[in-house]
Amino acid sequence: MNFLFDLVAQGAQMLLALALAPLLIGFVRKLKARLLHRKGPPIIQPWRDIIRLLRKEVVLAENASWLYRSAPYLIFAMTWVAASLVPTFATGLMFSWAADLIAIIALLGSARFFLALAGMDIGTSFGGIGSSREAMFGSLAEPATIMIVFTVSFVAGTTQLSEIAAYMAGNLELRASVGMALVALLIVAIAENGRVPVDNPATHLELTMVHEAMVLEYSGRYLALIELASALKLLLYISLIACVFFPVGLARHDAGLQAMAIGLGAYVLKLAIGEGLLALFETSRAKMRVFRVPDFLGAGLMLGLLATLLVFVTRSL
Amino acid sequence: MNGSGERSIERLGGLIHSMPKTAFLFLGGCVAISALPPLNGFVSEWLVFQAILLSPSLPQWTVKLLVPAVGVALALSATLGAGCYIRAYGVAFLGRPRSEAARTATDPDRWSLGTMAVLLTMCLMAGLLPSLVIDTISPAAKDFVGGRMPTQAELSWLSIAPVAESRSSYNGLLVFVFILFSAYSARWIIHKFGSARSRRAPAWDCGYIETSPMTQYTGSSFAQPIRRTLGVIAFSVKERLDMPAPGDMRPARLSIEIKDRIFDYLYAPLTRAVETCASGLNILSLLTIQEYLALVFGALVFLLVLVAI
Repeated sequence: MNFLFDLVAQGAQMLLALALAPLLIGFVRKLKARLLHRKGPPIIQPWRDIIRLLRKEVVLAENASWLYRSAPYLIFAMTWVAASLVPTFATGLMFSWAADLIAIIALLGSARFFLALAGMDIGTSFGGIGSSREAMFGSLAEPATIMIVFTVSFVAGTTQLSEIAAYMAGNLELRASVGMALVALLIVAIAENGRVPVDNPATHLELTMVHEAMVLEYSGRYLALIELASALKLLLYISLIACVFFPVGLARHDAGLQAMAIGLGAYVLKLAIGEGLLALFETSRAKMRVFRVPDFLGAGLMLGLLATLLVFVTRSL
Repeated sequence: MNGSGERSIERLGGLIHSMPKTAFLFLGGCVAISALPPLNGFVSEWLVFQAILLSPSLPQWTVKLLVPAVGVALALSATLGAGCYIRAYGVAFLGRPRSEAARTATDPDRWSLGTMAVLLTMCLMAGLLPSLVIDTISPAAKDFVGGRMPTQAELSWLSIAPVAESRSSYNGLLVFVFILFSAYSARWIIHKFGSARSRRAPAWDCGYIETSPMTQYTGSSFAQPIRRTLGVIAFSVKERLDMPAPGDMRPARLSIEIKDRIFDYLYAPLTRAVETCASGLNILSLLTIQEYLALVFGALVFLLVLVAI
């Protein structure tokens, strides 16, 4: 019975992540439109787009290879698995021990690897520009993420995300190192999801494209999967920030239905707050030049490193 | 390389069509070496990171503070490695062929393919079942460093947990099965309820018509952003644009100067020192016979004094 309950909870989390991710995109678009005094499309619009795309036929470029056709499924699967391993409403779910925080980051790295390869497969210059810029951002963002992981793991004594969340919920205190790690993680999250100061998800202007340039040739169900994967990635980062730095309301896996319902409510609230802040930030910023992005990411990397060193020094004294 | 007879990566491209089997095996190798889950490279990287996380309990201060820096270096090199293999694979195997040799390349014979396949299978096994590999090599590790990890095979579900079950664990097999399951179920559901149709058409490329394959991103253009951001520090890269004055018919040229700092600051002083010593000692070969005798005598006395002390 217990086993069954665990399995249902894990399945529910996977489906929840999948269902919420496009809504999240819709919500942030709606908020941004409202902030600019426009009406904006309904929140459900990204789901409608995705379903519409899934029904359409795919137009493949003439020299697309098998890699190009299987990459969307792989990218979607890797992102989905990574997103479902992050605690959303409850910690210690059934498969949460299968991969720790480092593995989740690395799964996203795998998805990026295949996306960059798919961008180069058709042999057009737009795909290449996207892939090479993505490789540059990735080479700075991933070490920064690893540093943040180090900081958080040193504090909590583990890299297992559920354990970290449980530790953080049990020891609510202000730490300078954790604060730095939070700022660094926000920087990385903005860069990794291609949000405004780094990349503009709403544009197809060639000078600004990174993510959109790589997926330029995709259409139909492949495009739907990639859109879904990038929505899941945004959800993953917000959930990660929420569960590590604001673990209020998270239920334990054996806590029963009521605690889980509270956890779910808290989770949705946290997502909404995160999205609100993101929309506010995006409308008040202009996009930066591509070669300014390394400075931005470099600040994230340095903050991560400083946070790690700070933990080391304070721990050893 | 053998299949196309071409050594420059800038003249390859599109090998995934002409050498499909090699392309698949090479992709596996790239994923493994870029330390991406679920292959073996990631397991090793993960274990190193776990070791780094244990470092606050080390007694030596210098080592303790050095370890996080090593962590950054490792993370940076892992992602740069991934970028490098995206570049290698993307330029050589993907895209459109840049030369006739790349277009007509063929897969190598069965033995070469077999060797690569065996190596890839080993990568996959080590990635999916790391506990078995760790247990196999831990006696050797014990002889070397005097310590060993707890036996991994006893843990449930073939996962690995280097320190203790409650702290951190990783299960390559489960992650792999999970990914395959999600990918295939997504494919099945989409093909059943969505659409499975596809049609071939010329590439879209924002409306540009088909141009020469030479307009594709090459290895050097792919590396340019990384060279600009990190190359200045690591290799003191200088870019020089030689722009002719208006009316001048000369073509404009962009040249890049790359210096290896390790060579400049470590090897170059060493060679200079050796050269000064050698030219200083050169006068010894032009002495008279008396001076030689005096030198030999002096050297003997010096050596005897050394022995006496």
